[in-house]
Order: sequence, then C-alpha cells, then structure tokens
Amino acid sequence: MRVSRFLHCRVCGRLALAAVLAAAATAAASGDGRKFYDDDPIAREPETQDASRAEPWEIDLFFDLAYNLFARPGADEQGVRAQNVNTIDEVPDSSWFTNRIYARPVSIEELVRGPNTMDGPARGPWTIIRPKPAGTAPGFVVRDVKGEVWFVSLDARGYPEAATGAVMVATRLFWALGYNQVESYLTTFRPEDLVIGESARVTPPSGRRRPMRRSDVDAVLAQAARLPDGSYRALAGRAVPGKILNGFKFHGTRPDDPNDVVPHQHRRELRALKVFGAWTNLVDMKAGNTLDTVVTENGRGIVRHYLQDVGSTFGVAALGPHDWDEGYEHFYESGPLVKRLFSLGFYLRPWQTADYREYPAIGRFEGEVFDPETWKAHAPVAAVLCARDDDTFWAALRVKAFTDEMIRVAVKAGEYSDPAAERHLADVLIKRRDRIASVYLRKLNPLVRPALDAGGVLTFENAVVTAGVGSEPAGGYRAAWFSFDNWTGATTAIGEPTSGREGRLQAPASLPAAAGTFIKVEVRAVDPPVPAWKAPVSLYFRRTGAAWRLVGLERTP
Amino acid sequence: MVRPVLVCLRAHRALAGTCHLVAVALLALWPPPALAQDSRADVIAKTQAEKAGRLVPYDPPRAERVVTAIKEYFIDRPGGFYPAIGSVYSGGGFTLGVGFRRFSGDNTWFDVKGLYSIRSYKLVEVGMTAPTLARGRLAAGLRAGWRDATQVNFYGLGMATSTRDRTNFRLKQAYAGGTLTARPVPWVVLDGAVAYEDYTATTGTGRAPSIEERFTAATVPGLGASPRFVHTAVTAGLDWRTSPGYSRTGGYYGVGLHDYADVDDTYSFRRLEADLVQHIPLLRETWVVSLRGRVETTLDAGDRVPYFLLPSLGSGSTLRGYASWRYRDRHAILTSAEWRWMPNRIGMDMALFVDAGKVTSRRADLDLDGLRTNVGIGVRFHGPSFTPLRIEVARGREGWHLVFAGSPAF
Repeated sequence: MRVSRFLHCRVCGRLALAAVLAAAATAAASGDGRKFYDDDPIAREPETQDASRAEPWEIDLFFDLAYNLFARPGADEQGVRAQNVNTIDEVPDSSWFTNRIYARPVSIEELVRGPNTMDGPARGPWTIIRPKPAGTAPGFVVRDVKGEVWFVSLDARGYPEAATGAVMVATRLFWALGYNQVESYLTTFRPEDLVIGESARVTPPSGRRRPMRRSDVDAVLAQAARLPDGSYRALAGRAVPGKILNGFKFHGTRPDDPNDVVPHQHRRELRALKVFGAWTNLVDMKAGNTLDTVVTENGRGIVRHYLQDVGSTFGVAALGPHDWDEGYEHFYESGPLVKRLFSLGFYLRPWQTADYREYPAIGRFEGEVFDPETWKAHAPVAAVLCARDDDTFWAALRVKAFTDEMIRVAVKAGEYSDPAAERHLADVLIKRRDRIASVYLRKLNPLVRPALDAGGVLTFENAVVTAGVGSEPAGGYRAAWFSFDNWTGATTAIGEPTSGREGRLQAPASLPAAAGTFIKVEVRAVDPPVPAWKAPVSLYFRRTGAAWRLVGLERTP
Repeated sequence: MVRPVLVCLRAHRALAGTCHLVAVALLALWPPPALAQDSRADVIAKTQAEKAGRLVPYDPPRAERVVTAIKEYFIDRPGGFYPAIGSVYSGGGFTLGVGFRRFSGDNTWFDVKGLYSIRSYKLVEVGMTAPTLARGRLAAGLRAGWRDATQVNFYGLGMATSTRDRTNFRLKQAYAGGTLTARPVPWVVLDGAVAYEDYTATTGTGRAPSIEERFTAATVPGLGASPRFVHTAVTAGLDWRTSPGYSRTGGYYGVGLHDYADVDDTYSFRRLEADLVQHIPLLRETWVVSLRGRVETTLDAGDRVPYFLLPSLGSGSTLRGYASWRYRDRHAILTSAEWRWMPNRIGMDMALFVDAGKVTSRRADLDLDGLRTNVGIGVRFHGPSFTPLRIEVARGREGWHLVFAGSPAF
C-alpha cells in the first residue's frame, strides 16, 4: 500500500478518484434521482470531446512490469462494480470495444476475415523503412509498392509457423470477442524481395544511428525460420490509422484524453481479459502490447484503443515455446517462493506435471490441468485484479459463444502445415472454452436474455443449461413482481410471487399497463444446483406502447 | 443550476463589459445543452466536459522517473561511465570500481576501469572488446593492465598443511595481451590467447606473517623471484549450455593447454587443464543436478612453477569451505555437485552443494583418495544468461566460509 501511494502521483490519484466517482454516478442512479433515463440502456458510450491534443507517452516496460508485480495497482479496489457497463449490465460499444460474438451472430466469413479489410501487402519489392520498433521477434517495417506500411515479423529459427500462426489465430479470436485488432496477413517473401530504403536507419549496440546495410538485413533473417525453398513466412501487420500515442495502462486513465473518464481497471472489457487471457493463454499482458491512436471521427479527435500484440498466446512466444509455468504463475509470487524455498522445491504446482503435447508450431498448451480461476499472466494487471464474478460471467458468455466450428475455422487462419498441430490447438481451445463456461457461468444466477411480452410472460435462458455445463434448478424459478418508481426507487409488490420452469414465468394479472410504467422483477432459482443461484437477478422493464422493454438488469449489486 | 453558471462564468472570463455580463446571465437562464442531464449520454458527456477542462500531459510518478533515469544511464546508454563490479584477485574481498566505455564501430568498444577492494587490492585495466565479428562467430579482445594483490594467502605446498601455517605475500602483475574466441558452430568453442605477464612478488601486508618469514626458496619454488612470461593458451570445448553465465541445462567439456615461457627461461612450464560441467534438469527444471570435474596438471616433471602460479584450491569457485589459495601444488583435482532448486523461476536459485578436491605433487596421485570436502548452501540471483550475485555459506573441516561472488560457481 505504501509503495502504491508512493508511486502514484497526487494529480493522477485525484483525477482517478474524480473519474471513479463521476463514472459511478453514471452507472448507478443519476444525479437527479432517476434510476433510468430515456436512453437507457445506452448501446454506445458517447465520446463528446476532442482528444486531438493527446500526445504520445513513453511507458517504461521494466517499470511497468515491476510496478504491476510489486505495487499491484488495483489490488485495493477489488469489489468495485465495472463502471462502463450500461443499465442492463452490458458493455456499450466504444473506442475500446465493439459488441460482436454473443451480442449478435458472427458468421464464419466474418470470423475468417476478422479485422482485415484488404488482401495484404502487395507483391513485389518491399522497401525496408526502419527496423521493427518493438518486440523480440525478428522483423522489419516495410512499405509495399502501393505505398502501404507494414510491420513484418517472422518466426524464430527452429519454430516455423509458431509466432506468425499464433498472431493470425489470436487476432481473429480477439476481434470476434470485440477488441480493436491490427489487420494481420500471412505472406511469404524472398530475401531478394527486400530493398533497403534510403531513410532506413539502425541503432547498433554503439548507439550511433547509421544507414541500414544489407548485413543488418541478413542478421535479422539469420534469426528467422527459413522455408525449404529459401523464402520466409511472414506476418504483415498493417499500420493502424491515426496518430500513434503508444500503449495504454491497465489502471488509471490517460490524463490528456478527455473522453477517458473510466479508470481502466474498472472497464469491464479489460477486466474480461482475466477470462479471455486464460482461454488463449495471453500471458504477456502489458501496456507494451497495447496501442492508442488518435483518429478523427465526426470532426473530433478520438483515441482508439487496440490490443496490439496478441501473439504471445497459446503455447508460444516470439522466440519459441512458453516456459512450462507460463500461465500458472506470475514472474514473482511471494507465497510459492517461500514454500519452494523451504521445501527444497518439493512444493509442486500443476504445471510441473501437466501433460503437454508439444508441437513446434503450437508450443506448450493444454486443456486438462487448465484452471481458469488460477490462470495467471506474467504480471498481475489492475484490470484483471479487479475482475468480479459478474465480469467473468459476462466474459464466459462470449467465450462459450464460439462454436467448435468457429474455433476450428479461426485456427485454420494460422495455416499450420501439420494437421495434427492444427487439430491439437483447436481441441485445446475447445476444452479450455468448456472449462471456462463450467467455472464462471455457474458462479452467479445465470439468467440471461430476459424478455417480457405484452401478455406478461417473462422468458429467459439459463446460461449454464444453454452452455451444456449444468442443469435447471430442481424447483424451477420464482419471481417477485413490483411496481417501480423510477424517481424514488420505491417498490410496491404486485400480486403474489409466481413460479415456473425452464425459463418461462407468468406475471400476475394485475401487472400495470400504462405507458411509461416501470416494473421490477426479482427472479431466483429454487433448489438450484449452485447455492449462489438463490440470489435474485433484478430485472427492470419499462412499458413502451404495447410492449415491455428491458431497461435494467442487476446480477450483482 | 449554480454549477453551470460558474462554469459559464469561467468559460467567459475573457469577456469584458456589460454586454458580456448580460450574455452570461442569459446563458445562466438557458444552460448549454451539453451540460443538461436529460439522458445517460448527457451525464457521461458532462463528465467528459469536466475532464476536458483540466487536461494535463502525462507526468510519470517519481519512482518511474528515477527507474527510467537509472536504466537510461547505466543500461541503455552504450558508452560513458559505469559502475565496475568484479574481482581484482581471488581473496581480495568486496570490490567496487568505476569504468569508462567508448564505442568504435557498431559493436566494438574500448574501456578503462579501476577496481579497489576492502583489502586494498587494486586493478587498473584498459581494453578493447569486439564480441561479434564474422557474424557473431568470432570474438576478440585486447587487455593491458596492472593489479596489486596485497595479501595473498600461502599455506605451503600439498595437503598436509595447517591453518597455522598461513602466511601471505603481495603480488603485483602487469600484463598485456589478446584473446580470440571462435564458434564455428554454436556448440563448439575454440579459444586462443597470448599475453605478456610481468610478476613481482614481495612482502605481504596482511596480519599473517609474510611468506619469507616462514618459507625459503628451497621449500617454495620461485620465492624471491619476479619472473616475466609470455603466456600462451589454447582451449577447445564443446559447450551446449544456454549460457556460461547461467544455465540449467547442457554441458561443457573442454581442455586447455597453457604455456608459460619465462623470458629468462628459469620458470617456464606448461599446464594442461580439463573441465567437465554437466547440468541435468529434473521435472521441467524444478531441480537441476549440476556436476563439475576439473583437473589441472603441470605437464613436465622438471618444470619449475613459481608458487603463485601453482594450481590451487580454496575460494568461492573451487573448495568453497576453505580460504582462498588454501592448497597449492603442481597438480589439482576438484569435483563439485549441486542440487539446485528454483524458489522463483525468474531470478532466484538455491543450491545445496558439496565440493571435494586435493592438490598433489605427483600426477599419479590425482585420484579420489584423501579429498578435502565441504558442504554448503547458497542463493543465486540471476538473469537469463548471467549471475550477478551469488551468496553461499560453506563448511569444511576448518570452519565456515561466506562467499560473495558475481559469477556462477561453475
């Protein structure tokens, strides 16, 4: 705590606190007493201010890692509800996130295309304009004959298809999950396709920048996996539009972005990386693998946020397979350290005995020992630390929305030459998906997709049953019905509670029908397989015309 | 309503005169749409508008600034001054110094450094290093320097010596030479070195008696002599460790030949050294059994080897439970075994170890009989390819010894 205080500048602390309070006010009751506004639930997070004056910042990766490991920002804010959810507990679209899978049908064609809008870099000579600016994978920044700029990265020598394949697959998964992703294409080139641009400069160990030479290119290629025909398989990432601001942090807000008012640790889509990261083994979760850019929308500068590098996923990193413990332990944890120290190493963890079926292109990735609740990235980032059960439930719904076919199609994007490797990766992703659904969907009352028809019939799904990871409560469901005063929050019971089975409940006959009327329904499970399901989900409906519209859903206060 | 009025007043602070006041009053009556809260979007917009009025550039916390500055100065900056940590000579104790490095070309540098230890050991050295010649297959270095080891232990020759026999001497050495290392393939390493070395051994300055008070030239070869050598060495080895500075897997099998040619041809001698290091990882490197064997032998029975260049045992990298230079003679054998475990896979290892070795006057006695042994435990703080700090305690038949070192044991 002291470290955290020391490390936080006072201004940032005050801004963050102010933002938390302001955002809390937006997510809960409004300032004038109303619980729901006419535009609730909002489908898009408004970005009303001009952010064009936001400037790039340098995040020191070593400090960021140490800060997350030892100061653990966000650890003292656990239990706070996500602040960017709307009144039906969903994440509106924004410059961070776009609702795709689960929120709407995502076709196979869409998934295959992912974020891509073209066919990749043009054939012909590539002009190297500078060395690869970040990351450990060998590569360059090139301009193709059409003038498009590409960040080209290569597989490490000895691990063909590994790093490039992981990015291709993960990019599609994270795009479908809703994140902004860099357009990524697989291609090949021959050394003679590379031309050194006149402006290309390198910085050797001496620190003295000089023009790039052919030997510099050869040195990079020497680190890369070469195909039998002498060419190289490459991942070409298209330069994103807008002014580059570098990455975002997983805590606090950008002080120079007026629209960034919700501390990042309280953004649900970032908290959800606890689940998405576990699914894909996104262990290298850090500011350095994110990217902010300023783009112009509707005449205003808006900061768009990317998960830029999702390549350190599944069982591989840029230069080879993950260590066995990656995904199981942070880089530093005092508890296991002390236990191993005094037990001479005989304090064993699951990674030490997990059965990894290793393929060079996939690395160490398995689904039998995998436990999504104990999965860990290299360092604990604040957003993941702050994830609550309602956040992980929300995320698990999206993971489970990937069908087997979708997963296998996404994996095909990796273009693995070994069918067994491709099959293994898809199989493990399916196993991990099911494990995530089994763990996180059961933690809360799993009522989803509620609707109340004009005749007073309330329907909903049990997400656990839909996912096939559990059964309906033995006693069905019981709903208590109330009229709801949107200005005071007062509730008045309507008739007696009603009961029903399999997601269908009839409202009492005395349900009001006047336009603008609000009602509240508390639905709980009776004799459920999980005690937590006895806690009610509160639903709020507003009468609009002849129909009831869902305006509120509270799964966890 | 009060707050919007204040906001508007602030927004119009630049305005002056009555007309402007009227305008402000009108604005108070009809607050701007952006500030009204008739919708959820308005509430959020108001929060954003408030933040827009107090935007600031990113100001890193003080700790980040300090860390970044240290990193930029000592790690990212290729040239300039740097803190030099190392050893002047075995037994010198804790040592610190400063160096200055200047690059020439892409990856060749010249440096000068000075070290000083708590026992007044001193080193001044200038050098040139080119680690990545011929696409990384060749490394070359040049060194010239002067060292002064003020109180080097000497207990006599052989194993039948006592701690009560301890004396010391002062050894000054001027040297200049070069090395060339080739790796034709990643797991083969060939070393060649040649140097001119000028030794001056004089009266020791420590609390123990000086060597000449207890020993004579008849019992200790080279006592009173200050020979100058042309020292040539060649080494060939198979090395498939991940790094000589830190490894959990792989091994090193090497053999080296040293030729010390006395300029006056009195103390010329040749020595053969054989090293074997093997790391055996167990259960995904949960544990590592590390083994080391080392033999040093003076090749010709007639060679006269000055006492300060005899093979020796006792130090933080040989017999760790014994004082530096505890045993000296013409031949030496050393074995070590470590049981290593990793409390934290990044940065920290522990080890239980045992060392055993002896020195002999005859090569025929280089066997496993009569070895001195010690046991110990240690912690190592390491990076992926280096071990900047090793702290160990070891106990031999002569008591406990504490080891601080900036390199792996082997």
